[in-house]
Amino acid sequence: MDSKVAVVLCTCGGTLQLDYESLRQEIAKEEGVTGVTVMDTLCQSEGLEALSQILSDVDGRVVIAACTSQKLQPRVDNSLGQGRGLNTSLTHYVNIREHCAWVHPDIEEATKKALDMIRGAVAATRLAQPLQVASKAVDAHVTVIGGGIAGIEAALSLSSLGYKVTIFEVTDRLGGHIISLPVIAPTGKSGAELLSGRLEAIEKDDNITVMTNTRVKFVEGEMGNFEVHYLQGESEEENVLKTSAVVVATGFREFKPTEMEEYQYGRNPDVITQFELSTMLTEGRLQRPSDGGPVKEVVMVQCVGSRSEDYKRDCSKLCCTFAIDNALELIKNDPDIHVRIIYMDIRVPFENELIYKESREKGVDYIRGRVSMVWRENDKTRVRIYDSLLNQYFETSPDLVVLSSAVLPPDGLYELSESLGFAIEYDGHIKELYGKLRRNETRRRGVVAVGAVTRPQFVSEAIVEAQAGALMIHNELQGGSVEKIARGALLDVDECVGCSLCAQQCPRGVPLMIEQTEAEESQTDSDKFLFKASIDILNCHACGVCQSLCPTGATQLNFLTNEQLWDQIAATLRDAGPEYPITLCFHCEECSVSTIDIVGTRRLQYPANVRLIPVPCAGRVSMVDILKAFEHGASTVMIAACETDRCHIGGTGNEIAQIHVDVAREILNAIGWDGRRVDMFRMFSAEPERFIVAVKEMTERAESLGPTPVHKGTAGRWMEVSE
Amino acid sequence: MSGTVEQEREIPPKRQRMLDMLMVLGGLKEEQAIPLSRVKEEIEALKAGLTPLISEILSFPDKYNKAFLETAERIRLAEQLTDHGIVTEAITRLEEALSIRRTDALEGLLNLLRSTQQKDETTAEERPERPRMDIGQVIEPLSGFIETVEDAIAGYETERNKQAQEALDRLHGLTEEFRNLVRLASENPEEALDGLRKMGTITRYGPFLRNAGQIRRALKEGRVTPARFAELVQTNMLVEMIRGLIMFVLNNVGSKTVMQLAEILDLEPERVQNAIITMIQRGEIKMVGVEEGAPVYARVLGTVPNTLLVLKRISQQMRSLLRNAEGSVRDTLEDAVGRLTSCLEKLQRLGQYDEAAIAEAVNEMREIADRATEAALSTESSADTEELRHLISAGLEAFARFRLRITLEKGPNLVEGKNVYGESLDPEVYRRMMDTYLENEIERGFILVLIRELGAMSVKDISERTKIPPDRVLQHVLRMKRDELLTIAGEEHGYVLYDVPRTPNEAEVAIQTITALIQDLAPAMRDLEQLVAELTAKDIGRLVNTLEAFSKARDKMAKITLGGSAIASDTIEAVRESIRSALAMAYRTRARIPSTRPKVTIDDLIDVDVPTVMDEYRDMMGYAPLLGFGTIDWDQSKCLGCRSCELSCPEDAIFLRPVIDLPEFFEFSEEVIDRFPSVRAMFYRTLRGLAVKRPTSNIVLEHDAPGFGHVEVDLWLCVACRTCVRRCPGPEGGALELDLKWSLPEVIRHLVTEQTSE
Repeated sequence: MDSKVAVVLCTCGGTLQLDYESLRQEIAKEEGVTGVTVMDTLCQSEGLEALSQILSDVDGRVVIAACTSQKLQPRVDNSLGQGRGLNTSLTHYVNIREHCAWVHPDIEEATKKALDMIRGAVAATRLAQPLQVASKAVDAHVTVIGGGIAGIEAALSLSSLGYKVTIFEVTDRLGGHIISLPVIAPTGKSGAELLSGRLEAIEKDDNITVMTNTRVKFVEGEMGNFEVHYLQGESEEENVLKTSAVVVATGFREFKPTEMEEYQYGRNPDVITQFELSTMLTEGRLQRPSDGGPVKEVVMVQCVGSRSEDYKRDCSKLCCTFAIDNALELIKNDPDIHVRIIYMDIRVPFENELIYKESREKGVDYIRGRVSMVWRENDKTRVRIYDSLLNQYFETSPDLVVLSSAVLPPDGLYELSESLGFAIEYDGHIKELYGKLRRNETRRRGVVAVGAVTRPQFVSEAIVEAQAGALMIHNELQGGSVEKIARGALLDVDECVGCSLCAQQCPRGVPLMIEQTEAEESQTDSDKFLFKASIDILNCHACGVCQSLCPTGATQLNFLTNEQLWDQIAATLRDAGPEYPITLCFHCEECSVSTIDIVGTRRLQYPANVRLIPVPCAGRVSMVDILKAFEHGASTVMIAACETDRCHIGGTGNEIAQIHVDVAREILNAIGWDGRRVDMFRMFSAEPERFIVAVKEMTERAESLGPTPVHKGTAGRWMEVSE
Repeated sequence: MSGTVEQEREIPPKRQRMLDMLMVLGGLKEEQAIPLSRVKEEIEALKAGLTPLISEILSFPDKYNKAFLETAERIRLAEQLTDHGIVTEAITRLEEALSIRRTDALEGLLNLLRSTQQKDETTAEERPERPRMDIGQVIEPLSGFIETVEDAIAGYETERNKQAQEALDRLHGLTEEFRNLVRLASENPEEALDGLRKMGTITRYGPFLRNAGQIRRALKEGRVTPARFAELVQTNMLVEMIRGLIMFVLNNVGSKTVMQLAEILDLEPERVQNAIITMIQRGEIKMVGVEEGAPVYARVLGTVPNTLLVLKRISQQMRSLLRNAEGSVRDTLEDAVGRLTSCLEKLQRLGQYDEAAIAEAVNEMREIADRATEAALSTESSADTEELRHLISAGLEAFARFRLRITLEKGPNLVEGKNVYGESLDPEVYRRMMDTYLENEIERGFILVLIRELGAMSVKDISERTKIPPDRVLQHVLRMKRDELLTIAGEEHGYVLYDVPRTPNEAEVAIQTITALIQDLAPAMRDLEQLVAELTAKDIGRLVNTLEAFSKARDKMAKITLGGSAIASDTIEAVRESIRSALAMAYRTRARIPSTRPKVTIDDLIDVDVPTVMDEYRDMMGYAPLLGFGTIDWDQSKCLGCRSCELSCPEDAIFLRPVIDLPEFFEFSEEVIDRFPSVRAMFYRTLRGLAVKRPTSNIVLEHDAPGFGHVEVDLWLCVACRTCVRRCPGPEGGALELDLKWSLPEVIRHLVTEQTSE
């Protein structure tokens, strides 16, 4: 191992209370370290200048001990990496500011912590392999499934970003639900008006191809090379379109409440849904469907199917506004029409509150309660209304009963999910990758979902989301050049035994198990089914779950191999012993690093005998990693991870870590250790105290449980123990 | 091979699957079928063989039916048919058969039944004008029948007592053994459990057997600690065994009170009481009476014997008649009611008994009770209120029993005087109560009479006939069903049919059986003629089925008795051999031609790559083929805990359980660890390098943990396809091995060699 590592220490303008001299001396003694440089302002231009010199001297193997890598790394990568073409992929960062100087007032202890962590980083850097960023050219073509407002907007945005777009629409015209709406709050315009400009633009746009009466059957391939299989018209013949990315904008389906007998929908022609009323109004044929008579009395029923365990558990969000829109439109057509709205709660978000007020002024009756039954009597529709505020029943004979029925996910979503690989939420809508920060992405790279297919949305929201989705795709396709992700899991096919643990547990379902039919013939003596994993690094999110489960080490993150992490653990814990018990903390680089950084910026204090090792996701920490930490002298081991159900990888990395910790605890108990020496904590950057509580807990445990069997020298002596 | 096929045998599921596999796997390889000329040859041979037999087979049902009709006319079968429902059903069946095939015998039988039905209807209409009957005369034979029943019951009781004595003798040993085991349980729970399980084979109490097996396994697999195990044995298992003993007593000795049980079992009454509470909750036992102020418990039976229900009804009917009776009639009735009540109690305690011995007498008594009710109706002497007469006419015995007493006796008192609390009843309220009460009772009576006369009816039918709204009818019907006055007799057009409890007599059974057979045989006769005339290879399956129908019908006909003897036994016996040989011939041919039994060679089966045909097979059959029986051995020293076996198993027969067999990790030799993949080996080494002591028990995890676990196989589901063995990625050929105890191809090879050597 003759690769040389340079270490750069930054004093942050001379403000950090650390013993730099002793750090310099101690680090210089480290094996493989060629030089230690102390700078005052690494992030400024003169500092970066000096760093670029060091980077080229040691071929990029530099450990930067400075402030948080969340700030510094992008700066270094941008100015030296992209700016000067230097390879920064071997650089490792140690946060001696937020993680050391700012949180531990005792200079000696803070320095000791910094030293241990730098030692660890040096060990990892010595084994680092350079990563090459590669890209491949793809067609600048995107397919939009669904020709409603979201699909139209996404197509237009993509077209103006320079992509060729094909829109697949299952009906015979574009416009979706919107085109039938007589008025859209708060714009006051009709759906047709709102769409007219866009439809015109699409017509003129040579980049956009519209295919109506077309149904997508399934999609093959991966980002940059999707193949959409579709059927056109009545024909059974399957056509194929090559495309680089897919926008799913299949909108929603209005619930048809035929099963709810109390409303008589589908039996009594005068009972219609809100959308059917919209269509009537738009087409100017407002009349009683039963006999063509005039409409004077209207009863609207809210929450039909919504907020019901049987049909749609939660609120459909749009129906209140839609009902008020239609009520106002009815009154606009004929001021004598009397509208009653029977509601549970009226929910009108955004500026829509205005039309609610307007409707009150124009005499729409709001009755809080439910409709208990609808029936025909003497050729009239009768409705019984329960008013929950008056605790009374009323009966009336409206000309129309309009049901504001629930907004459900569109048909065919499950079928599409099978080939497009996006996840589906419990309510049947498409699940976003991460609810807070990555709402427009699906689990699959190159596939975005926009509009009501993800959740009930107002027109304005769908438009914004469609634009965001288009940008998301532009970000990935870059006008036709897909970046092959440099960070990710690499598979050594020869090592793979085909156990499929990676494929079973990958949060994104990236590894595929491929049967080795040819290999079978060469193995004459066995009739084994041989499988090998295959990892598409384009879809890999570099979390390391596969690595933590792989029994052979065949799949490893290219920036954090097993050997790197094990060496880092050993080096970090070199001074760990019974007299100064150390807690080793593996923390993820999502929620946890943010939490720990915020603890630093707020200068909160916590015990200094904790050593931090960053991992991309808590799921990267394997059972062996935990045991190694104890082997090298850690008194306690903790994993800091994201909250339950908040895995940023879009899946279950944190839960895999939880399983490892749970099993490790049981194993420790069984082999004569104390299971309390290992634990897992959930971090949340808005509550930095969580980290402090966790560290205090684990350092206290380290103290109270005393020296470990490794310290006492009893570890591994199980054969001598009789019981 | 013997050719007679007696009855359809239950084929055990796994065997069935094996047979299916033979057929279908063979079918998948049908290209190796026999040449067409051979098929033709076989068919011709079969046809030639069948032709001389066929006319006899075809003619025997008609002969039999003719003989049946003659006997029926001779013994006036029609008069013995009292159950209207049975007659109607029989007519429907005959009509269906006649629509396929007309014969004189069938028409004769149909006419006979139709006239019975008409007579029923006319008698029902004429009834009001019937001449007055003397109730005394009607009930005269009652005493004799009750005696028959009493004698039968005495017989049951002696039999039961004998059993009880035997059981008590046996119990002696059991309680002794149990006391020893109680002592042992605190010293050596494992041994104690073994002893208890041995006892369990005698008491055969389900919950005990299940729990004992469960905790035994749990200990073996390390799911419970030894301390917990001991606790379970000392508490749960001992109590379950007490329950087993209680059940044993109730089953074999008869109903008992808690004190009696405690004495028999030599246990403290508190323990028995505690054990019994759960048994009541489990619905295993129930209270059937009171003895010396203590409840008597008996085993809960699945079904209540019909005769018991009928007897209950009779006794209630008699009781109601008693109200209006005078003089000697009253004495007879009083005597009858008293004796019947005691009979009922005894029968109830007996639980189940041989109904045949009393069926005849019970039926006669029912007749008498009905006629006596009618007689009471026709007497005008009774001066009671109009309502009361309605009640009796409505046959509302059950309600008359105590409700009437309250309404007629207590009611006026409540209005005039005061009850013990000093309250009195408002006369207006009383009047309203009486009105609704009487209305209800009359409606119920009406319904009961209707059903009794016209046979089983649905709520809809009743409502149409009585003009009572269906919801009220339903209420009445449910109430009466709860009182065991009605039972559910089946359904019609989706409506539940209610009927009074009936016990069919010999004539009714005969008519039910024969019409069912006629209905089955009519299409079979048509088919057989047709099939033999133009037999082709693809019809062979139908031919076999048709012949089987004849064979079954013949066997059943041989068992029908009318007037105490079998009918046309010569004809039945004569045709037996013909049917047998026809069937044997058909079987043989079916076995030889490929369209029904595919040709499968041993080599085919040996070479069949199960997973490759699996999909096709599963599409066809819905489950995987069975290749034999065997065990799957799991070797943890080669297991990666990856769950590939579970995921690949086509039958969901193998699982990775979240249990870590940690002690074994410390038994691996260095060589064993060396052959593991590198990271896994590193795990074992690091673990052993850290351990301070050797783990003693397995780790039972709450959730699945990828990479860890204990493989278990459900041998009931395993089809020995070896998919898991082949899929296992573990080192050195994998962690799983199939030990095939019984290979299907091997067995077939054996069979074939045996056959060819014959």
